[in-house]
Amino acid sequence: MRAPILKQGKYLIGSIQGSLSDADLLALRDELTSTVREQRSSGVVIDVTVLDVLDSFAARTLRTISQMIRLLGAETVIVGIQPEVAVSMVQLGLTIEGAATALDLEEGLALLDARTGRGARRHAR
Amino acid sequence: MLNPTQGRKLLAQELMLSDQEIQKRKAFLEFSAEDEKALTGINDLAERYASVVIEDFYKHLMSFEETRVFFKDPKVLQRVKNSQREYFLRLTKGNYDQEYITNRLKIGAVHERIELPIQSYLGMYNFYLRTVAQRLFDAFRSEPDHAFKVFGSLMKLTFLDIGLAIETYIDSRERTIRDQQEAIRELSTPVLQFRPGLLILPIVGLIDSQRAQQLTEQLLHSIRANRTKVIVIDITGVPSVDSRVANHLVQTVEAARLMGATAIVTGVAPEIAQTMVTIGIDLGRVRTVGDLQSGIEQAERLLGYRVVQSDDVPDPNEQA
Repeated sequence: MRAPILKQGKYLIGSIQGSLSDADLLALRDELTSTVREQRSSGVVIDVTVLDVLDSFAARTLRTISQMIRLLGAETVIVGIQPEVAVSMVQLGLTIEGAATALDLEEGLALLDARTGRGARRHAR
Repeated sequence: MLNPTQGRKLLAQELMLSDQEIQKRKAFLEFSAEDEKALTGINDLAERYASVVIEDFYKHLMSFEETRVFFKDPKVLQRVKNSQREYFLRLTKGNYDQEYITNRLKIGAVHERIELPIQSYLGMYNFYLRTVAQRLFDAFRSEPDHAFKVFGSLMKLTFLDIGLAIETYIDSRERTIRDQQEAIRELSTPVLQFRPGLLILPIVGLIDSQRAQQLTEQLLHSIRANRTKVIVIDITGVPSVDSRVANHLVQTVEAARLMGATAIVTGVAPEIAQTMVTIGIDLGRVRTVGDLQSGIEQAERLLGYRVVQSDDVPDPNEQA
């Protein structure tokens, strides 16, 4: 199942709707990076709420996506990792170093606001 | 919590011995088909003397304060006498199979439940053996060898029974200990909401793998339920930290991060810090702060709270 990419202002939301094959994950990576380029987005949220398992390939791909997007000048936040998923990831040593995380979509967007220009303006207020 | 009936059922089920295990125990006691035959051979003798033996047995029990208290009610006394008689006769009826074993376990469980001291229980068996030995040697006065052989068989069987009874006692004690450990675990892991977005997790007592796992799960669910951004984990009450505990701690912090929460560890005692450095534990990217107060202050800064002391101090004696 391909994950659709939604545009929300300056941000992109990669909304995972069901379990993803490795090919789907790579497609998500390519599509996200090219869309960030086209839309000149400043942040990306990848929502994994529905996933009840995150294997090593998925974790590595999420990390790669995050690093690639940083090179493109934008921020990435992974949101919606469930408690059970977090526990098993930690036990397997998959801690997606370097990618920011947040509880859910709302918190993820707030984090992006804080990290990109909008947050700076807010702090200046 | 289990109610007593459920608990009893479980006890019998849990202790249910496999046929293989029964064979093993009999083999260890050298209880053979010959013994079984010897015992069934004295069945009619047992029938004849049952009432007398039982009467003697209870006379003995009634002459001691510790055992007398269990038979205050004459109805109860009559009932236990009847079941004791059954038990006594069952010893010489052969077929010492699964059903026999289960029955013995049940009897043990009953005695455990009424809190009959184990020494009284063993004393009863001893009294039985002595009384029966007397009768046996009286009955086979002309052939003491045979009497001795039968008595040996009886001894093997009673020791099998005693083993089973003691097992129910031990099992029940172990169950109590397990329940208490469970209670301690439940008591000692509160996750407290301190401010919107800020949780405090005070850990008191030793952390083992099971508790660490439970702690992590509880924390992660609280993070989701309370939309937590920052957690302060206070380990002042943890007496010792070894590499396993430290590893659990790091894992908990990482898991919290995956859910978008920052964890601050506080209350690392100097001795614990020394041990950790000596054994080379890398707390990596775990934020550590000296005490709970500093931890909460840092958490508040991360969340954008500013605590200001007001000039308008209310009189503490005034009713709210």
